[in-house]
Amino acid sequence: MADGHQHPIEHRFNPYAENGGTVLAIAGADFAVIAGDTRQTEGYSIQTRYAPKVFKLTDRAVLAVNGFQADCSEFVKRVMQRIEWYRHAHSKQMPLKAIARMIQTMLYGKRFFPYYTYNILGGIEEDGTGAVYSFDPVGSYEREACRAAGAASSLIQPFLDNQIYFKNQTPAPGAAPFVPGNLPIDVVLPIVIDSFTSATERHIEVGDGLEMFVVVAKGRDVSQLASLNAEEIPATNPGEERVFIVRRELKKD
Amino acid sequence: MNTFVSRFAPSSSVIPNSRGILADEEEEFSDLTWGSHAGFGNLGTKGIPTFEVPHLADPSAFLRMHTDDYADPNCRIKIQHGTTTLAFRFKGGIIVAVDSRATAGSYIASGTVKKVIEINPYLLGTMAGGAADCQYWETYLGIQCRLHELRNRERISVAAASKYLSNLVYSYKGMGLSMGTMICGWDKTGPALFYVDSDGTRLKGDIFSVGSGSTYAYGVLDQGYHWDLTDGEAQELGRRSIYAAGHRDAYSGNTINLYHVKEEGWDFIGNYDVTKMHYDGPGNVLGATGGGYGYEIRAAGRSASDADAIDTSA
Amino acid sequence: MSVDVFRKGGFDFSNARRNAFLEGKGMPLPKATSTGTTIVGCIYADGIVLGADTRATEGPIVADKNCEKIHYITDNIRCCGAGTAADTEYTTAMISSNMELHALSTGRQPRVATAMTMLKQYLFRYQGHVGAALVLGGVDPTGPQLFTIHPHGSVDKLPYVTMGSGSLAAMAVFETTWRAGMTREEAIQLVAAAISAGIFNDLGSGSNVDVCVITKDKTDMLRNYEMPNQRVEKERKYGFRRGTTAWKSESIRSLIASETVVPVAQLVTDEMDIS
Repeated sequence: MADGHQHPIEHRFNPYAENGGTVLAIAGADFAVIAGDTRQTEGYSIQTRYAPKVFKLTDRAVLAVNGFQADCSEFVKRVMQRIEWYRHAHSKQMPLKAIARMIQTMLYGKRFFPYYTYNILGGIEEDGTGAVYSFDPVGSYEREACRAAGAASSLIQPFLDNQIYFKNQTPAPGAAPFVPGNLPIDVVLPIVIDSFTSATERHIEVGDGLEMFVVVAKGRDVSQLASLNAEEIPATNPGEERVFIVRRELKKD
Repeated sequence: MNTFVSRFAPSSSVIPNSRGILADEEEEFSDLTWGSHAGFGNLGTKGIPTFEVPHLADPSAFLRMHTDDYADPNCRIKIQHGTTTLAFRFKGGIIVAVDSRATAGSYIASGTVKKVIEINPYLLGTMAGGAADCQYWETYLGIQCRLHELRNRERISVAAASKYLSNLVYSYKGMGLSMGTMICGWDKTGPALFYVDSDGTRLKGDIFSVGSGSTYAYGVLDQGYHWDLTDGEAQELGRRSIYAAGHRDAYSGNTINLYHVKEEGWDFIGNYDVTKMHYDGPGNVLGATGGGYGYEIRAAGRSASDADAIDTSA
Repeated sequence: MSVDVFRKGGFDFSNARRNAFLEGKGMPLPKATSTGTTIVGCIYADGIVLGADTRATEGPIVADKNCEKIHYITDNIRCCGAGTAADTEYTTAMISSNMELHALSTGRQPRVATAMTMLKQYLFRYQGHVGAALVLGGVDPTGPQLFTIHPHGSVDKLPYVTMGSGSLAAMAVFETTWRAGMTREEAIQLVAAAISAGIFNDLGSGSNVDVCVITKDKTDMLRNYEMPNQRVEKERKYGFRRGTTAWKSESIRSLIASETVVPVAQLVTDEMDIS
């Protein structure tokens, strides 16, 4: 080069992009719902109207990933590989809390070159309870009753705080206090749908389609899912936990 | 058992040097990752965690550019910050009290964070700064403390545990770790309290408070502290100090988690809602003096919020 | 005491340096409402058809789901605006006023080219700081006229034009379907299709299609000509029980003022003499 530089000067190395979309998960007493929209964007463009963000990992674990799509798909691929290795080594499916801890260490393994992914893990614990774990991009995690992440998280989370955690609601005089994480499935699913239709109205990066995964504990009644056109994903171990998927259309503008 | 220990033991020094801990690729899988030890996933062939860094002249500047929301509020990867934590030593042991709010910029990312990390039944660590850094390294410290027990047939001292952590984070100095933690426990010397941060500072002391709300907490703490506090008084002091920070600091709040470290290990005392503390107080618990911490005091007398007191006849 | 009697006209830049400093310190400036927008116009046999979507955004948030982007200039001239909402609204309103004054002083109906010249000179003067991207259309004694005016003041004169973030999507439709001498119905359908392309493929555009048809004799503003994005009904009712919000104390005060009127003199009941 004319000015004697050996290498071109690197002004701004940016391996990240923002691909919009939103995911959320809600835990019930013996089920968990993990949902995400299917729109993928960059800037003002829609890259695709169907890019799944929610993935079944095992018969009792479903992972929602959001952020930078390339990091998301790479991360999910690696998580699935580790889970398969675990199954081969132990002849059993990896428990939910073990997957949660593994996701922490995998995210933290890239502490100095982070995955730009927000992860929400939902499913059934070994004791049969519904659970949601949420992660930050470098692996700090926590078990919660519900969590929204991604582009419209700041629109949906306050709604969930009010409806799921009963924030700013006082029980009627003499009524039992509210207990978060105990709502029935026929209340939770409409709340999920309403969260996404509302986010679609007011956030430009949310829309097109909605995929809701429902993980139900062993032996739980699933008759409520029939009316919602739920489709069962075949289980690895029949007779244990079951995973259903419910699809809805969202607005496309 | 000895082979088990040797598999995990670092070959030479306890603290890996910076070359050893930075893997070029994440691909170096040992048999540890093949299943049975997959729990602590990035422990490499030598039982040392490995980290991938971007191939750049200045990796930490890269990290700062993409994660530091103070330098650039529009950065993409928001790491959770903001906190008030405190711990103090007294006659009856150590009180550890923390808030539960995590913020990413001006957004409250969570109001239910567990900022006390239960390293083992005798050791507690607190979380301030990067949530993931504290969670990960204090869990890792827990592993090392257990290995210490297996090798030496006795529990690690709080001084040794805190020094292990201090040396560990010091080896990453300048890489962008962010931790301000208090290691609290009971060992042969009695209750012991150390402050350790990611700059490498390690201090032994009786009273510490860390985080954006620490100045508010210190105000209440210093005013009410003396060595001969009863257990109830000490717990109430911890609650009130975090309440004060939660009330005045925008980056702290939601709930209070209270722990008491005693000779037989730590005790979880309870979780208290900061808003409820303001209006109603903690209720009938040990050390409670009755009533709310703030509302009545502030609203009493002639004020708009006390409509009955306003004289309308004039 | 000196009073600042003389004030220069135009914009006040006194906060510009302060704001640049604050931005450098990491304090982002408040976002102006922007009409991310698809706006189009095309010529047909008898005149002009203009079209616009109705979404206004603040960053990624939809600020208004049904705003109006086709602005009135004169009875026979309309102007679609894209860019900073305040700039397009204020600029078109000001030019509209000046066009009216121009008509009154000359005693003639002003031409579309007059509005175009006023707009481009105004925008050029502010070197792009007035963020208005416009599609100007109308019919005057010289026939149908259609222009685009960019924020820096440059002008295009074409038979079919698009502007805004959805301009590429809309132009794709025009390039495949537009032809000279279309009928009114054909032109309306084409403009609606072009706007729809923007609504569905550009995130900055959305909601409804507004159309405006201008002919020599009259102008038809077809507000919400198509509404392809109606809000779906919610799955649940979100009512709250009375007493849901916690309260600390209660006091009820009567706001009914009871007054007793005591007449101090007898009113004159006869009609007043106003002769």
